[in-house]
Amino acid sequence: MSKGFFPKLALINIKKNKQSYLPYIISCICTVMMFYIMHSISRNKGLFEMYGGDYIVSILNMGAIIIAIFSIIFLFYTNSFLMKRRKKELGLYNILGLEKKHIGKMMLYETAIIAFASIAIGLLGGMLLYKFIFMLLLKIISFQIPLTFSVPASSVAFTILLFGAIFTLSLLFNLGQVHLANPVELLKGSNQGEKEPRVKWPLVLIGVVSLGAGYAIALFIESPLEALSSFFVAVICVMIGTYALFTAGSIALLKMLKKNKKYYYKINHFTSVSGMIYRMKQNAVGLSNICILCTAILIMLSTTISFYAGQENVLRTRYPQDIIIRYNNANDENIAKINELIDTFKENEEVSVSNAISYRHSTLLTSRDADSFATYEDTENSIYTSISESFLLTLIPLNDFNQMKGTSLTLDDGEVYIYSSKNIYEGSTITINGHAFNVKEASLSSDSDDTMSKTFAQGSYNIIVKDINILNQAAASAGFSYFIGFDVEGNQDTVIHLTDTLKSQLSENVPEAYLESLESERQSFLSLYGGLLFLGIFLGILFMLATTLIIYYKQVSEGYEDKERFEIMQKVGMSKNEVKKSIKSQIVMIFTLPLATAIIHIAFAFKIITKILAVLNLSDVPLFVICTIITIAVFSLIYGIVYSLTAKTYYKIVQ
Amino acid sequence: MAILQVNNLKKIYTTRFGGNQVQALTNVNFSVEEGEYVAIMGESGSGKTTLLNILASLDKPTGGQVLLNHKNIAEIKEKEISAFRRKNLGFVFQDFNLLDTFSLQDNIFLPLVLSGKSFDEMNTRLQPIARKLEIGDILNKFPYEVSGGQKQRAAAARALITHPKLVLADEPTGSLDSKSSGHLLRIFSDINTDGQTIVMVTHSTKAASHAKRVMFIKDGEVFHQLYKGTMTNEQMFQKISDTLSVLTTGGEVSE
Repeated sequence: MSKGFFPKLALINIKKNKQSYLPYIISCICTVMMFYIMHSISRNKGLFEMYGGDYIVSILNMGAIIIAIFSIIFLFYTNSFLMKRRKKELGLYNILGLEKKHIGKMMLYETAIIAFASIAIGLLGGMLLYKFIFMLLLKIISFQIPLTFSVPASSVAFTILLFGAIFTLSLLFNLGQVHLANPVELLKGSNQGEKEPRVKWPLVLIGVVSLGAGYAIALFIESPLEALSSFFVAVICVMIGTYALFTAGSIALLKMLKKNKKYYYKINHFTSVSGMIYRMKQNAVGLSNICILCTAILIMLSTTISFYAGQENVLRTRYPQDIIIRYNNANDENIAKINELIDTFKENEEVSVSNAISYRHSTLLTSRDADSFATYEDTENSIYTSISESFLLTLIPLNDFNQMKGTSLTLDDGEVYIYSSKNIYEGSTITINGHAFNVKEASLSSDSDDTMSKTFAQGSYNIIVKDINILNQAAASAGFSYFIGFDVEGNQDTVIHLTDTLKSQLSENVPEAYLESLESERQSFLSLYGGLLFLGIFLGILFMLATTLIIYYKQVSEGYEDKERFEIMQKVGMSKNEVKKSIKSQIVMIFTLPLATAIIHIAFAFKIITKILAVLNLSDVPLFVICTIITIAVFSLIYGIVYSLTAKTYYKIVQ
Repeated sequence: MAILQVNNLKKIYTTRFGGNQVQALTNVNFSVEEGEYVAIMGESGSGKTTLLNILASLDKPTGGQVLLNHKNIAEIKEKEISAFRRKNLGFVFQDFNLLDTFSLQDNIFLPLVLSGKSFDEMNTRLQPIARKLEIGDILNKFPYEVSGGQKQRAAAARALITHPKLVLADEPTGSLDSKSSGHLLRIFSDINTDGQTIVMVTHSTKAASHAKRVMFIKDGEVFHQLYKGTMTNEQMFQKISDTLSVLTTGGEVSE
């Protein structure tokens, strides 16, 4: 055979199969492009120099890893689908006299052409789009760094290596398929699977149980911290449940419908029920993939958008005041130094300071036994083992409390006031680390909105003790801390500048004190949440691409199978309209099933997600509701457009 | 009474860009009486399939009339044509055309379900037919599980269950081995004896020899007819063979 024969044959094959190969190549190009962009942005030096830039870089790195893993799964899946479709063609080549060795050679060239085209175009596109995407990222996180056009060699190398490996792997898989099969099997390849599926009851049971368990976890978890750890378990349960129910549950349901003679033997139900059994048999895994992808996209986008939109809220919850200084293991000498520095700061004419508060306190993480509270000995372990049974106690000397609140409460020796934000302390005595006190008054803090209460740890008991000595005794080894907080107004740049000066003075004089300023934290918040949003959108697009492609291939492959079926039905006396109606109802069902299931999943997950968001300081539930609804609406719209486009291809094939 | 009347039927195929015209049927005239068993024979390209498609209302004639039960098929509206086909015609195809997603029983029920019949009625109709076609014990099997002969008998049951005025069979024995062919043809003769009108298009001399009348089509026209009368199948077979050899050599035919 002449030298150029195999490359030519490979090229012709790709052209002839363009209905299935073109979408494959396009999605290869897109994944290459996305990986390259993600990777190269994370290598941008400008990002490192910005405040909070390291957040962005680590988010982008994570994104690149996710894209890489996803590309492997997704491209491999698509490839195996293409292979299934082409088995007949390859069998024919085999029968017409091409040896398996030759077919292998032909496939090698095909893969090489596709790989080269995808990687080359993908890289090129990535380089062109890089600037645009980078600008988008900067816009989202409001960074201002000069745009530079750079092509990081490491990104190019990584991209080529990764996708080269993926293509090699799929080629090996294809070669294995051809090698194992005999020509007759290859010829039959795309016609297998005509048997009516059996109902796998154990799988149905597993599906029901794990989906139920996943939903139950999501619904009945109350403690926010437990929510964080059980969320993952719930996700796994729901995923298993989705796969099991889509594969076995759907067939069980359809078979039950079929057994009901009155229901089954009706024009509309007859063809769709029996058709759906076969569709579900072939598509269940693909559909559950789509369902899980949809759920992931929707949750990812709605949470990142909520965070981005609600970041001011989060910022305020996290930083109740513009400038906060915390000084642990305090002593009076240093407190005096700090106060002195603050006074100098206040004297600046360019800024005005308000809402200043300061108090000494000791915050203890304790275990409770009736009215007795004791600090954990081994803090490391206890936090993780029994966080839900732990109590946070904040001890404050009466003097500091009165000063701040402008009250003139009095306490005798051995007496305490207890304020709490959630539950009133119910006992009449309290023992803290072995020191017993009488409770003079226990109440809910009526003014939980005031500045001071906000700075206290949430959901704990705030205990007012007579003086600092008693506090020190009760706190035992923990010692006491000093807290100063105040709001600053003035030109933003001046505020940041002065704050930075204060911070450096502070670290010179009292290195143990720690200053947090809202203005400078805002930027790192923005880069964290902006980065997450960017990642959310980016991965959203990638998942969407995958969903589209899976749906497209589903439609095409079904179109060919259904063509014959509907021709027969027409011959037997079904009108064109009835055929169309039947096709449409089945396709719509197949199509909406994953999206509807995804929305149900999200509805069940809603409670647990709001709890997790609360842990991350986003407590604005209405905002999250709105973001979720908008995300679902927009997503459904895009999904609908994808559907109508692919449905067109389907009808073209069937008719 | 003529159940099917074909007058001056003409069909011209035009290629897509209107270039070439192919005359498939030039001028076909014949009629089929109730209870008749007619075989239509002819070489490939003689227009048999075109004729059958027009009779089946799957294709429209260029000129002429097809009257089924005194009703002109060409004048039936597109909307009603499927229902008309379902009620009046039964089909048996060469490649069975059974749906692989249905069991044999559901395949047979398909036209009745489309007409909105209840399950009980379908079941009472099915029993005698299944017995006659000897498929009673395989009704719950799927097409891929049974032999070609069984498939074709199931397809015949599907054609008969609507009690059609006319059964149209297109090469019904074309995909069957000789034993299954014999079985199917015996069944066709039986149901014809019971009063079912059958029109069959075939290549097979053996199949045609079971019919009461054989029509030969050549170049889009009915060229010749043979009546079986009191002849046995073997005598009819001989007669058809002679006619076919004359047809292919192009000599004059004497009756």
